[in-house]
Amino acid sequence: MKNKLTLLAFSAQKINRQHVQLILVIISLAMLVIGAGAPLAEGGVGR
Amino acid sequence: MILLSALAAGLLAGLVWARWQGNPYRAPELQHLWLVFIAFLPQFIVIYLPNLHFSNRLTAGFLLASQILLFGFAWLNRRIPGMPILICGVALNFAVMAANHGFMPISPQTAGQVVSKNSLLDVPLGSRIGPKDILLRPQDTRFEWLADRFLTPAWFPSQAAFSLGDVFIALGAFWMLAKPGSPVQLINRGTQK
Repeated sequence: MKNKLTLLAFSAQKINRQHVQLILVIISLAMLVIGAGAPLAEGGVGR
Repeated sequence: MILLSALAAGLLAGLVWARWQGNPYRAPELQHLWLVFIAFLPQFIVIYLPNLHFSNRLTAGFLLASQILLFGFAWLNRRIPGMPILICGVALNFAVMAANHGFMPISPQTAGQVVSKNSLLDVPLGSRIGPKDILLRPQDTRFEWLADRFLTPAWFPSQAAFSLGDVFIALGAFWMLAKPGSPVQLINRGTQK
């Protein structure tokens, strides 16, 4: 039982880490495309 | 935002493809993530912070500096599938912006398709329009073929004008997230057979 709980805790920790990594990659890519791209969008005028 | 739509579409395609294949989703393993945050900071300050106003010269300098750093980040990750396409887009946008006072040129005709004619009346030629664009006649634009000259189709939810560089950036981002065969797996790394 203790082993199962340990395994479960380890899996949850791993999933969280993987999710965090995936989110970081997506945020980074979003900043990359927004930063490097230069489209003029509707409603983007004003500054 | 058309570029974020490409990102979302790529992620969706990658997830659907991975599920179809019965494999876990493989996201690209980007290196030097800190650099993209540092690179984005200058343009975040000059464009997205509402209460701060900078001169056009300073804004252009910050934009170009930011793009050079973003290019560096992309170059360091050039082995990731899709990144070479994105690098081409970054280079094209940088070239046309650097050649046109640090901003992306757009003609009054193209801008008139995106913003209302009344708003456009308040923007003289040579002035900034939108966060990164500058209103220039085609004959006054260097590398006019790299300017914001394409328009989203009428059925697209939001109207936008975009450049050839933006097309490459969108394709590269889509490819990066959609292609399941990225070199290193983020998910289930080490547990794959």
